[in-house]
Amino acid sequence: MALDRVISEKRKRQCAKLIEISKDIVRQAFDKFKPEELGITWTGGKDSGLGLWIIRQVCQEKGIPLPKAMIIGEGDEFEEIEGFVDRMKKEWKVPLEVCRNEDVLKAANHTLNVIVKVKDLSERNREELKRIGFDEDEFPFEAESYTGNHLMKTVVFNQFLERNKIKGIFQGLRWDEHPARFDDPYFEHKEAGHLAPEHTRIRPILHFTEKDLWDTYAAFKIPYCQLYERGYRSLGAKTTSLISEEGVPAWKQDLENTEERAGRRQDKEKAMERMRQLGYM
Amino acid sequence: MAEIVGPGCPRGIPGNVEMPLAVERLPNGNTLIADAGDEAGFGSEIIEVDPVGSIVWNYNQGLKFAHSGRRLKNGNTLITDTTNNRLIEVTPDKRIAMSSDEWGGGTGKLSDGSHLHYPNEAFELGDGTFLVTDRNNDRCIQVDRKGHVIWAFEKELHHPHNGNPLPNGNILIADSDGNRIVELNKKKEIVWSYGDGKTETLWWPRGAIRLEDGNTVITDSKNHRIIEVSPAGKALWKFQTEHVDKFYITHATKEGTFLIACTDGHHQVIEVDRTGNIVWLFRNYRRPSPIHARLTNGFFKEVGEDGMPRHWVLATRLSEGGGKFIWDNNHKPSPCPGLEYDRPGGLFLQQNIAVKPGATYRVGAEVKTIDVKGTACLLIDFYDHLVGSLYRDITDMPSGEYFTGTNDWTHDSFEIKVPPKATFAQLRLAINHSGKVFVKNIMMNLI
Repeated sequence: MALDRVISEKRKRQCAKLIEISKDIVRQAFDKFKPEELGITWTGGKDSGLGLWIIRQVCQEKGIPLPKAMIIGEGDEFEEIEGFVDRMKKEWKVPLEVCRNEDVLKAANHTLNVIVKVKDLSERNREELKRIGFDEDEFPFEAESYTGNHLMKTVVFNQFLERNKIKGIFQGLRWDEHPARFDDPYFEHKEAGHLAPEHTRIRPILHFTEKDLWDTYAAFKIPYCQLYERGYRSLGAKTTSLISEEGVPAWKQDLENTEERAGRRQDKEKAMERMRQLGYM
Repeated sequence: MAEIVGPGCPRGIPGNVEMPLAVERLPNGNTLIADAGDEAGFGSEIIEVDPVGSIVWNYNQGLKFAHSGRRLKNGNTLITDTTNNRLIEVTPDKRIAMSSDEWGGGTGKLSDGSHLHYPNEAFELGDGTFLVTDRNNDRCIQVDRKGHVIWAFEKELHHPHNGNPLPNGNILIADSDGNRIVELNKKKEIVWSYGDGKTETLWWPRGAIRLEDGNTVITDSKNHRIIEVSPAGKALWKFQTEHVDKFYITHATKEGTFLIACTDGHHQVIEVDRTGNIVWLFRNYRRPSPIHARLTNGFFKEVGEDGMPRHWVLATRLSEGGGKFIWDNNHKPSPCPGLEYDRPGGLFLQQNIAVKPGATYRVGAEVKTIDVKGTACLLIDFYDHLVGSLYRDITDMPSGEYFTGTNDWTHDSFEIKVPPKATFAQLRLAINHSGKVFVKNIMMNLI
């Protein structure tokens, strides 16, 4: 599905300029690393989708194969995203690895909110829990909890790097998506740590704002997952992702004055007012 | 095992100035400083320091978050003992010559039946009575030594601080939550004001002084600056530091310099001249809370002999005397800690953790709230090398979800990027207004 929205020529040129900046980052990555040393994180969402679309173009112009992509199966996926990923994988010929923490999924019987006993997990997963300071004997299986996030995403990500000897990994992060991202660098080298391999994170689309991104999708007819048409602005796990505005496509929402990842935090402004009563702070 | 990378000093060391709030230069050239104490409620005192920084007098008996100390004509010192809701006068040999606790036949009540509530400032007037800024009663009053209310301005003020008597008999009041300064005459008419309510103009001003030339110097606290304005309201001069510095009270010396109490910005008193040069400085701060190499006891399994989770500090300084630490002993598999609070201030459970500037961490926990009227949340403050917060407002600090009302256990996690100047993080469970908040399984890791 491609966005059916008219973008002016001027705006299209602006978007093309943003794409050029991203392509330059991608080219630099290919100068630094061999294609087989590179990996791409893909979620089926709008950010990694744009990144993949750009990386694929650079590969085509250079006549090199698309690096291996990874998608994390956290056990709580939208069927719509799975369908979209399947379709694009075939259409764009993406060498895709679906990465799951099978050990945890098995211990949880592939069922959300089931209590997982730490002693039932593999040594590696137990070691990972120790590494993050988890100090209980069991936890409920939820992809978006702290432990769930670590075991189902971080561990799986690190294992993908290890298994494929990846030295540079593309990420679809943007500066404006979260305050913690606002000064992320395009290239960030990560030293090896306990259970975490040394690698470089490459973020070619950092400079795209949410509005830039949707205008680019429209201007260049880039395919996207249909959930964005239903009002989702940010897609994560199925049970914790919330529609921001029911029935209002993401690109028609007030992108500049509301939070992309708002969900339950819509009333944060009011809460902030109450917190501000603490004058001393 | 806890690994401490920055040890803390004992709490309440006499003379250790943790949070200077009010300051004045005495006729003998010494400086009188009101120190509100540390975050856990220890160490509030009034000290007199000489020009070379030696402490020549102090008073620290029973004070809780004292906001001002003013030297009287008789040589005694008048102290607003804020969290204790009292006003006391102490002699040079540290005897209490007067206490508002004795008013109203020992009830502490004033002649109008009220009680001081979070008094912030008190000055002696020409006739020996006192002008008291009674913050949480939203008023400025004139009382005598027996507690008779002689005059009161009780309208239109919003948590005022530092009502300041002027030579012409008028009073200059910092109407802090109103974001303005007002000058009143004795007929309670507002004859001058500055501030339009917008935080860009004045944000939580703490005090104002009138100079001999008629200009007004305002301590614009949350904008971390001192500004001078003309009678016509024109901004003429300003002073600010490069770091976040919530100035409290500014005092004009007869040399034309300004003494500024810098609270826990950098825990110091500075004297600046008109060019912005710091010409004198007093800082002897030692940090009482240790800095841990990493988050320690985030699962609250280690409990100290005092019944508190080890390595965590209960920060009561802003609690206005209310609230307490609690355990939910019915929680399985082990009890989980919480905070119970009952008034407009705030209460925190916190720990200092060493961090790497530029690094990104994921912080997470599970949080439960019961009937929270204000807000409860996990948040992180970052501090620079002089233990000054890098944020000028609590709502600027990275935080998890802001919880209100009643919420069953909720996963709450958030990512933080450590600012370049940070030397350590302070992870807090916070609650304000009223209600209960419980927390468990706190984790914080580099990502």
